Amino acid sequence: MEITFEHVTHSYDVNSPTANLGLDDVTLKIKNGLFTAIIGQTGSGKSTLVRHINALLKPTSGTITIGDRVITSDTNNKNLKPLRKQIGMVFQFPESQLFEETVEKDIMFGPMNFGATETEAREAARTVIKLVGLDESYLTQSPFDLSGGQMRRVAIAGVLASDPETIILDEPTAGLDPVGRKEIMSLFKDLQVKGKTIILITHNMDDVANYADAMAVIHRGKLIAQGFPKEVFNNQELLKNDLITLPKSAEFAKGLMQQGFHFDKLPITIDELGTEIKHQLNGD
Amino acid sequence: MPGDSIIYRLDPRGKFLLTFYFVGIVFLANNVASYAFLLAFVLFAVYLSKINFGFFIKGLQPIFWLILFTVALQLFFTPSNHPIWHWGFLTFSKEGMVIAAYIFIRFVLIIFISTLLTLTTTPIEISDSIESILKPLKKINFPVTQVALMLSIALRFVPLLVDETTKIMDAQRARGVDFGEGGLIKRIKSFVPILIPLFVSSFSIAYDLAIAMESRGYKDGEGRSKYRVLNWSKRDNFMILFMTVLTIILLFLRSY
Amino acid sequence: MEKIISIANLNYTYPDAKQAAINDLSLDIYKNEWISIVGKNGSGKSTLTKLIDGLIEADSGTISVAGQIINEDNIWEARKKIGIIFQNPDHQFVGATVEDDVAFGLENQGMPREQMVKEIDRALELVKMSDFKKRDPQSLSGGQKQRVAIAGVLATKPQIIIMDESTSMLDPDGRKTVLNLVQQLRKEQDLTIISITHDIEETELSQRIVVLNTGKIVKDGKPVEIYDLGTDLRKYGLEEPFSSKLMSTLRDTVKLPEGYLSEEELEQQLWKLHSNM
Repeated sequence: MEITFEHVTHSYDVNSPTANLGLDDVTLKIKNGLFTAIIGQTGSGKSTLVRHINALLKPTSGTITIGDRVITSDTNNKNLKPLRKQIGMVFQFPESQLFEETVEKDIMFGPMNFGATETEAREAARTVIKLVGLDESYLTQSPFDLSGGQMRRVAIAGVLASDPETIILDEPTAGLDPVGRKEIMSLFKDLQVKGKTIILITHNMDDVANYADAMAVIHRGKLIAQGFPKEVFNNQELLKNDLITLPKSAEFAKGLMQQGFHFDKLPITIDELGTEIKHQLNGD
Repeated sequence: MPGDSIIYRLDPRGKFLLTFYFVGIVFLANNVASYAFLLAFVLFAVYLSKINFGFFIKGLQPIFWLILFTVALQLFFTPSNHPIWHWGFLTFSKEGMVIAAYIFIRFVLIIFISTLLTLTTTPIEISDSIESILKPLKKINFPVTQVALMLSIALRFVPLLVDETTKIMDAQRARGVDFGEGGLIKRIKSFVPILIPLFVSSFSIAYDLAIAMESRGYKDGEGRSKYRVLNWSKRDNFMILFMTVLTIILLFLRSY
Repeated sequence: MEKIISIANLNYTYPDAKQAAINDLSLDIYKNEWISIVGKNGSGKSTLTKLIDGLIEADSGTISVAGQIINEDNIWEARKKIGIIFQNPDHQFVGATVEDDVAFGLENQGMPREQMVKEIDRALELVKMSDFKKRDPQSLSGGQKQRVAIAGVLATKPQIIIMDESTSMLDPDGRKTVLNLVQQLRKEQDLTIISITHDIEETELSQRIVVLNTGKIVKDGKPVEIYDLGTDLRKYGLEEPFSSKLMSTLRDTVKLPEGYLSEEELEQQLWKLHSNM
């Protein structure tokens, strides 16, 4: 399912309290089966952008095409369920969406809304709870008795349970410890390898470098760059104007360049950096 | 709404009390002259505030149907000896038209003057005013300062909870909830996934806030000093004088 | 070195919990040091903060702040010496505007208004937020809100600042500004900083790292000593520092010294190897 934005503009009501700038003439293609990262400063319009993909927001002008669904300013609110079933969305601090008495019921909530039978939904709950790294014994517990990190996993399971084709993640690891963060990110990478399309909003450039196949940079509601992470992180224009921060490895490589090392393009992951350094020191 | 004009600079306590006072004396008006006089005063105050007139019109919108209903009621149900038009229990007369017009102006006056108060006074100033006005109740051990702090904190967290509500609603819509669909029972039920998370969030915010306040030395509200001060100036005395003159003229016009 | 906080044999179990959150913990913290307390979620870090500030009461053991053992009678005095910056910037902003929020702690002390005006200006100056004095919190970024929180704490002139994961909800720019600010304040205002964090980069600013696990101190040492744990750091919910990760990919063919090197040291090493070629 390919997602295409064509000249999408979104202006918030002037009287609205939200500080977001909205979107300004964004044209963007998100390819099927890829892991796409969307980056930009706080309030740049990243969250506004992704909320158009499942029609939580509608464009003021322009069109969004998701598979064979077209969303414009006239799209009405009826019959959006088939679209929302295909697009899973993990919000920032998703644990705040939990509300059921048990973990199982909460996970079943999405699939049942989308028309699954109780048996199907229960089956889905048993599958996804393991996927997020918890065992079946959690299903009978109240979500409010769990730790913050476990609640996060249950909320993610609740989104995965509807088996969406595309999964949108808005900083899914914020506030987790590094080990938990890595586990969650690997989970999403695995899902992508198994055929899902992943869209990740993040401030963490190392995550972009390590997991994403493509990236888009949003600045003040405008799309200012898109492409392979390696290309975008080597975009001199962006770097010069301070519109992008580098992953740790690229930052370190920049330092090494002043010590006589040479990089055609800044490496963006530790593995790339390591290989390059070895190559230059050992000549192999 | 942020801005600066003489109306903004008036002491909120005065503004608060005088607004209530004005709403009271609106009911004294009884003829063309007195209504015209009050309308002129309100429009002058609106002009002084330097706020776009559109905001005042917007203030009427939420109760548009109530106004329409009341006006229509007066228009068609005022009994008259000289009806222009008569059908069943409906009567349309000159008297009815006049009363309907008065009622309409009365609505406009009350809405405009209270919109003026809310647009030129921040919620925190209103809460400060209430604290100051209620101060005498301290004598009967009513916890005025605590109530005022509660009020100001509540005001402070309204936008935060609004954001939280939007976020939770979006999250549940993304999980397939349709808020505007189905019968009444189904609609009410669809709010459970909003209300529970909202309660949980509110409690966790309240807990965090209580800890933060205690860590900053908040004990029980006693022995606190106050940073925000209200300044009663000559301007405000003048306003009171002005209102007294206005009342006298109004009483005069009434019997005119 | 002068001790500013001294904790001895502290125990705490949450009501209804099976396991102790703090288990016979003893720790001395010295004046003007920046100490990082790290550990997995649930290792007892935030509980320790609340105990130090008397926000919850220990089951047993003692805590002294600036030489005085805290008890119910002097807890309010002790609290004046400690300021805490919490995790969520929105959940600790009490005032309707920036200046009102900074005033909160001073109002609690019953400070006369003329003096408050001065203290608030001073505190906002220190965190470089003077231009935002009249703004309401909705119009501020997360980083700016945390700077206001720091000003609110500084206004009451504490000796100790506890940062309870106070940068974890900020974007990278916000985090950097807040950390640099705290570092500068520690030096200028002779503050002691206790930072509770998951962020390995944040610990690089500290002089000492204490690792907690299930309510106990499992490691206590200089950052270099802690970083030397390598992949063992993961057991405590921490990541290895960038330089360690890079070194482990290089070790198979590049000859590097044993143990931890900082990024600058590693850069120097690589430069030496490069110029010897």
